Amino acid sequence: MVFAATGEPTTLLPAVTTAAIERDVFDQIFLKLAEIGRDGGTFGDSGFTPELARSWEWTDPLTLTFHLDPRARWQDGPPVTAADVAFTFDAYTDSAVGSDDRTTLIEHIASVTASDSLTVVFKFRDRYPEMFYDATYHMRILPAHLLRDVPRATWQTAAFGRAPVGAGPYRFVSWTPGQSIELAADSTYFLGRPHLRRLIWRVAGNLNNAVTMVLAGEADAVEVLVTPANIAKAKADTALAIYPYAGSTYTFVRFNLRANGDRSKPHPVLADPQTRRALVLAADRPQMVQAVFGGYAKVPPGPMPQVWSWLWKTKLTPTPPDSTAAARLIHGRHLSFHLAVPSTSPTRVQYAQLLQEQYRRLGIELVIDQVDNPTLQQLLESGKFDATLESFVTDPTPSSSVPALWGRGGPTNYGQYSNEKFDALVRTASSSATQEAAQTAWEAAFAALAQDPPGIMLYALDNFAAVNRRVTDVHIQPDSWWGLVRTWRIPPNQLTERDRAGR
Amino acid sequence: MRAWLLRRVAAGIAIVFAAVSLTFVAIHLAPGQPFLPPDERPMAPEVVARLRRNYGLDRPLPEQYLRYFVQLARGELGESFSQRRPVAQAIADAVPNTLLLTTTALAIDFTLGILIGLFQAARARRRSDVALANVTLFFYSLPTFWLALVLQLVFALWLGWFPTGGVTESALYGSLPLLGRLADRLRHLVLPALTLGLVGAGGTARFQRAALLEALGHEYVRTARAKGLAERAVLVRHAWRDALLPVISLAGVALPFLLTGAVLIETVFSWPGLGKLAADAISARDYPLVLATTLLATCAVVAGSFIADVLTAVADPRVRLTA
Amino acid sequence: MTAATLFALTVVIVGTGALVSWCRRHRWGDAGRRFFRHPSAIWGLVVLVFLATVALCAPLLTPYPPYEQILALQDHPPTWLHPLGTDFFGRDVWSRLAYGARVSLGVGTLGMLVAVTLGGLVGAAAGYFRGWTDAVLMRCVDVGLSIPRIFLVLGAIALWGKLGVGALILLLGLTGWFATSRIVRSDVMSVRERPYTDAVRALGARPWWIIVRHVLPNSAAALIVSAALGIGNMMLLEAGLSFLGAGIQPPNPSWGNMIADGRDQLGTAPWATLFPGLAIAFAVMALNATGDALRDALDPKTRER
Repeated sequence: MVFAATGEPTTLLPAVTTAAIERDVFDQIFLKLAEIGRDGGTFGDSGFTPELARSWEWTDPLTLTFHLDPRARWQDGPPVTAADVAFTFDAYTDSAVGSDDRTTLIEHIASVTASDSLTVVFKFRDRYPEMFYDATYHMRILPAHLLRDVPRATWQTAAFGRAPVGAGPYRFVSWTPGQSIELAADSTYFLGRPHLRRLIWRVAGNLNNAVTMVLAGEADAVEVLVTPANIAKAKADTALAIYPYAGSTYTFVRFNLRANGDRSKPHPVLADPQTRRALVLAADRPQMVQAVFGGYAKVPPGPMPQVWSWLWKTKLTPTPPDSTAAARLIHGRHLSFHLAVPSTSPTRVQYAQLLQEQYRRLGIELVIDQVDNPTLQQLLESGKFDATLESFVTDPTPSSSVPALWGRGGPTNYGQYSNEKFDALVRTASSSATQEAAQTAWEAAFAALAQDPPGIMLYALDNFAAVNRRVTDVHIQPDSWWGLVRTWRIPPNQLTERDRAGR
Repeated sequence: MRAWLLRRVAAGIAIVFAAVSLTFVAIHLAPGQPFLPPDERPMAPEVVARLRRNYGLDRPLPEQYLRYFVQLARGELGESFSQRRPVAQAIADAVPNTLLLTTTALAIDFTLGILIGLFQAARARRRSDVALANVTLFFYSLPTFWLALVLQLVFALWLGWFPTGGVTESALYGSLPLLGRLADRLRHLVLPALTLGLVGAGGTARFQRAALLEALGHEYVRTARAKGLAERAVLVRHAWRDALLPVISLAGVALPFLLTGAVLIETVFSWPGLGKLAADAISARDYPLVLATTLLATCAVVAGSFIADVLTAVADPRVRLTA
Repeated sequence: MTAATLFALTVVIVGTGALVSWCRRHRWGDAGRRFFRHPSAIWGLVVLVFLATVALCAPLLTPYPPYEQILALQDHPPTWLHPLGTDFFGRDVWSRLAYGARVSLGVGTLGMLVAVTLGGLVGAAAGYFRGWTDAVLMRCVDVGLSIPRIFLVLGAIALWGKLGVGALILLLGLTGWFATSRIVRSDVMSVRERPYTDAVRALGARPWWIIVRHVLPNSAAALIVSAALGIGNMMLLEAGLSFLGAGIQPPNPSWGNMIADGRDQLGTAPWATLFPGLAIAFAVMALNATGDALRDALDPKTRER
């Protein structure tokens, strides 16, 4: 089974990276304590399926005890023990390793200890609805016996990252740099050997090359199609089946509320909320979505991707475009500002051009600056921008990314947006006990955001994966695209020469 | 002779040193810093700070500069930030791919170019010459990345004769017999090599034709004709040797260009070579990798021109090697 | 294409033809005769004059402004209204091609101007003053020639983050003067030994005046040929950079970024990529043909049988 990958991983050691390209591969090799359910719910422990942990219980409101499955073994032999789990927590929270999840884990979990070889005890600092999610979702359990002696400061470049060993359904076989990564099914996997014997990721370099590979039959699957042209081509191809699933990304224009290059002063154009509202009204978002995605994306009413499907059931709708109202708010002033766009994303460059033309008709001058990613990151961190066009890949829950991006003092709130009402509503929403209460609270929070927009929420993608028809039982998990590959099958009468090779 | 050799080697080292120093300063001054994850989820500042400390990036620039050259003198190229492994390995994986592509392209380039140039000179001014002159001019003037896209569209997507990219069919390659593996590699090589080779052949043909026509005007050719030799013998035995010299020097210049000028082709065909490695390294601000590829490229240029000079001197005893 | 623009275009084509055939018949002297002996040069001249006119008179020859997006007509094949089709944003390809000529030709020409000026001055200084000046300058040239050009430019772009058109021209010029300086240097060195240079020096003229007034004009031929051929290279380099996203920014059309914009629609709307590519090819062809003919005409040493 060959996947066309749009990029190449840099390392397959889970603790040092959370990028999608790398997760695609190492989620086949490593296991978590429990896996999130197909509906992506993060409240309580509903829907979670056991993986390394066979069962769990709450011994008291702040203590969660897991019982590991005794059948679990590392791919090089030794059994998986609670010491491995404790070691993993220690590594994930070690600043020398530099995990993206470190802050979340430290904030809520006080300690993880092994009470015996198969029992792990998690002690939390406080009660909140997503305790189970935080305990299980972030950490992929690592083999202590292989990593204990590797100095933490060198984990970023450790050889283990190029030849990982886990406890999951697939074991690592080979990595040909710039070309492909190969995994083989582990026949001793305790939850049942996966049907697909070999998994190969072929590096295609970019989206179009990846789609071309799949259309030409050189690869069997690609996780996103993005453009309507690709979707049409894939639909027309009789050998491919299309699987829609909720996307985890949303794309937005971020405004800088402080002056370009000088955080002490307000931005001359963008500090005024009325101007920002005008800019949102002037952007004909439905038209842009239609032109670029042919309708295969939605305009979000707030900073949310489609994977938070329970939030889309609210009554909230995005502000409809209204150029007359926008013109009125602008009062005939000539507005002009720069938009920094990463040159690596053709879709965002297209969006920038569409936005530029829409604004030009209203007398707003938008200057596009195509920059590369490191430059964009530098512009954001130093505050030397007017506006940027960014995409964000979210977690299954809003309570981590929304305050980080838009809350006052949030680590990625580069535009220095500050709205007390919004912050208070976010706090309420994050601590709501049930999904219904959270839904209402988030609805109110996003409504507050619309009055004083920190940016323009452009689109939330509908994702489509294209998989060759001969593969059956295909399920796509929205937050981890190929997470359920272990359940896929190819019926024996459909095996091709490529599948048979290497058996 | 020895003095000339020594002077050239010394000059070569100086040039490489200067080029790498220039690159060092430039890349460190570029906006943006190296440690960015691929899908734009920003890294926590403490992590970035720690990484910078690990790699010595928080020291003052002159100190980093000295350290780098001391390290280089010991033969260590450092570790790549974007690939998380030694730079030497990254380059060692990329160079064979590029060499394969460029030597094939050069072979196509010079074989086709010399033959066409020869043919044109033999039929100078006649219709076939004029027609070929326009064809070679057209190919020489094409943007290589555009030709790459067109070839990919026609031969890979519409006709399906060749694959759209990559070096091998990874899923099958391991289990193919030797002949099958060779065939697979060849199939993947055709389109990229053809793109580079065709554009180059256009230039080489024009060059060869001009050189031949000039050689044909020389005294000794008139003598050969007066002796009664057939035109073809005149062309091949006498004039061509003379006209081959400038083409050899062209080869000296072409080699380093092909080592790194294939960036655009490698991007279109997903060919994991040195050009793509270097371009990616620049946009990822992967300082050790950028410096190493610049070092390699500059050495190739210096070596290439050196070899071209030596070959010219060997082939033509009239040329004396002066500094 | 509206009737008015069609008429204007016809006028331009006819005018170009008339102009070039008049040039051909005019007596330009020996060099001119040698130049017009080449049919390829004549065609090259026609193409160049046509492109230059289109670039200069773009507003008169295009029915639509280059930035106007007609989203109802995205990726539309060629029709009477849009003879070369529309691109992804519904913008008329012909209009963008015409305005793109301004950018591509302009950037190429101005870049080459910078390169030729710099190369000429450096080469002249090195050739005239010899000694340390020559050694230092030529080492710099060697270093410049050793680093592959696309690296230099990519690196420079990384350095500055985002470039305006002016900066791009400067950058192309600053990285393209090395070969020219070598040519000028050898020319200057040969002229320097001539008696009349000694005479002028004896008369007390200052070195720079000698260089500019007496020595450089001798290299004019080499410079002109180098320039004509170099513009083509500059255009290709700018196209490559715009293709990579590092050159001319939207909505300004350049032939390179038109190819980049149309790349994703190559299968469904090939005209958006085809025509800019052909435009570049023909422009560079014309420049090369003209340059070759110029070399033959102006430099008596390389006469072809």
